[in-house]
Amino acid sequence: MTISPLELLLLEMASGFYLGAFVLYLSEILLSRPPRIAWAPVTAGVGGVLFQSLAIFIRFGFQGHVALLSLREVLSFFSWSLVLTFLYLEHQKKVRILGLFIFGIAFFSTLMVLGISFRTPVLSTGAPVGLLLSIHTLLIDLGLASAALAFMVSVLYLLLDHFLRQKIFNRFFSRIPSLETLDQLNNNFSGIGFVFLTAGLFFAMIWSWEKFERIVPLATQGRLAFIGAILVWLLYAMTVLVRKNRRFRGKQAAYLSISGFFVFAATMMVLAFFSKGSHFIL
Amino acid sequence: MIKITLAGVNHKTAPVEIRERIAYPKENLSSAVRVLSHEDSVLECLLLSTCNRVEVLTITSNIHPSPDFFTDFLSRTHPALTSVPLRPHLYYKTDSEAVEHLFQVTASLDSMVVGEPQITGQVKESFEVCRKENSVGPYLNQIFQRAVSSAKRVRSETAISHLPVSISYAACQLARKIFQDMSNKSVLLLGGGEMAQLTARHMKKMGVRSLTLMTRDPAKGAPLAAEYEATYAPMTRLNEVLAEADMVVCSTGAETYLLTVPILESAMERRGYRPLFLIDIAVPRNIDPAISQLSNTFLYNIDDLRSVVLSNQKEREMEAFAAREIVRQEVAQFEKWRTERSAVPLIQALRKHTEELRLAEIDRFSRTLDSLPEEARKQVLLLTQSLMNKMLHPTYQTLRNSSNIDEAWEWITRCYGLPPEILSKANPDPSLSQDLSEKSVLDSPVSNLPLPGEQTC
Repeated sequence: MTISPLELLLLEMASGFYLGAFVLYLSEILLSRPPRIAWAPVTAGVGGVLFQSLAIFIRFGFQGHVALLSLREVLSFFSWSLVLTFLYLEHQKKVRILGLFIFGIAFFSTLMVLGISFRTPVLSTGAPVGLLLSIHTLLIDLGLASAALAFMVSVLYLLLDHFLRQKIFNRFFSRIPSLETLDQLNNNFSGIGFVFLTAGLFFAMIWSWEKFERIVPLATQGRLAFIGAILVWLLYAMTVLVRKNRRFRGKQAAYLSISGFFVFAATMMVLAFFSKGSHFIL
Repeated sequence: MIKITLAGVNHKTAPVEIRERIAYPKENLSSAVRVLSHEDSVLECLLLSTCNRVEVLTITSNIHPSPDFFTDFLSRTHPALTSVPLRPHLYYKTDSEAVEHLFQVTASLDSMVVGEPQITGQVKESFEVCRKENSVGPYLNQIFQRAVSSAKRVRSETAISHLPVSISYAACQLARKIFQDMSNKSVLLLGGGEMAQLTARHMKKMGVRSLTLMTRDPAKGAPLAAEYEATYAPMTRLNEVLAEADMVVCSTGAETYLLTVPILESAMERRGYRPLFLIDIAVPRNIDPAISQLSNTFLYNIDDLRSVVLSNQKEREMEAFAAREIVRQEVAQFEKWRTERSAVPLIQALRKHTEELRLAEIDRFSRTLDSLPEEARKQVLLLTQSLMNKMLHPTYQTLRNSSNIDEAWEWITRCYGLPPEILSKANPDPSLSQDLSEKSVLDSPVSNLPLPGEQTC
């Protein structure tokens, strides 16, 4: 099976729109008088997400299931969910500066998806994919997107905290939302990420039990991924629980979210590049 | 040609002793506008009076009123001013300079504190008074609309009004960088100094949930608390109130630190480590600087706030350059509109003259025309009209686009051999003729297209 030319075209279009949105958000920060087109980056983002939605829809239809079995699919769904969440946030909270990071990541993700697609045109092994595996991969990817968002707002939090303490009042400072807003967003994204991750791992365990009659994989790479997943889960559990302790507000919570995302992303990388397991095919 | 003239006195040209005597109380503004609008030469007028400026803008026909006209008017409406020589303090601007000045005033580029937001509202209020006194016509309406629009553009396209330039306001703006919603925040004012009172006023405007005032002397603190709808608390309750407050403004005359690291550490624990914004505007300082090392506490002293204000002032000056460019663009658009509009009575006069010629020629050939069948006669009449319209169209365009309407008119009268008095005959009352001429010209077949940039007033 090769990748559909229409899907490639749609991804290219989405990538172009994301790049446009990224450049527009960047100009808002770099230029002292940004162009009077506040609606333009959001519109570019909406355009990109529409094209990518179609590409994902075609992909799912093409392969006959909704599981994210390759790095290409994981990245595509990851950037799509990131952009969609941002568009909702932009509408609700007006956190414009986040657009710069989101569309930067979305652009590079779709670019990577395109690169992988050209390099390896084979899509899947053709093996039947069950519902449990599909739900597991979708939930884990949504968890990764939430972790990425928590990571981004945490970086912004630390930057603003630094600016406020060092009395640095530059253009970037003026565009960051309040510490309270960022802390709240970090709390929300970490919480949502933890729920997705827990549910995703739960479905993975059921799937593993059904398929191999064991929860812990036998293969070394599989075990590595399993340990990584448990580590990520523990870290996120700690983040969520620790936030209940009021001492770990703001800065401490931001550090936890940043480390949580790094471990999450590293685990995904391990899975993507080293696992020869049954459900993550490069 | 319509003439725009502006004269006035402001904080740059006159000391406060003059300004306070020349400012019109609100209740006297209408009567002053009435006096001005009844002047023979004045077609439209605007009178703007604030604590920092009194400005008079007039629209007249053909000639600019002299500066003496304005000093006379100001002296007449302010009997107490007769002994004061106003002329040295008066600035006088005409046409596009006058419009540019008013636009700059409305956009707060001519204010004492550049970018302050009140002036736009004051211009709007003055315009409303003049409108009620029927001293506003199409020109003033257009000037006002464009002035407000340029002020809006300046506010939205530059950061001129976003950068606080007062210490108390800068403190409030910084609070917005820490807290998302001020409506659920409590503020503790330690001491009742002038700066603390100003901050309290800003905080009230920002809609904080509660204000608590704490002074060493209850006799001084309690009435002050009542004035700002704050709760008064004695100093003995400091630890208790500190645990609840989100912002602390310190401005007491104490010689030692009132807030130390152990006090704050204990307070932070009790308040669940929620962020705390501390402003120390007292000299000597009332808050131990070591507190800034504590997590989730943000301490700013008077020098920090002053540096914020200074950097904002510099930024505002930079922004003012861009703002003036916006104003210049708006003035250029207005001038284009004014030129086009000024051409309307001339076009009407020319049209009337040529129409008279056409009808006279038709009359001369009436016998021949009458012998033609009805349909053919109609066609001939249409032909004459169409021919004339086609021939005159470039002239109309030249008039509309002419930068110097008087020169253009002189050229046209010579070209067409028109009597010089034709304009005054065709246009006895300029204000009336604006509307009539516009209607007739726009209704005529030659001018089906609206004048570029035309707006209904």
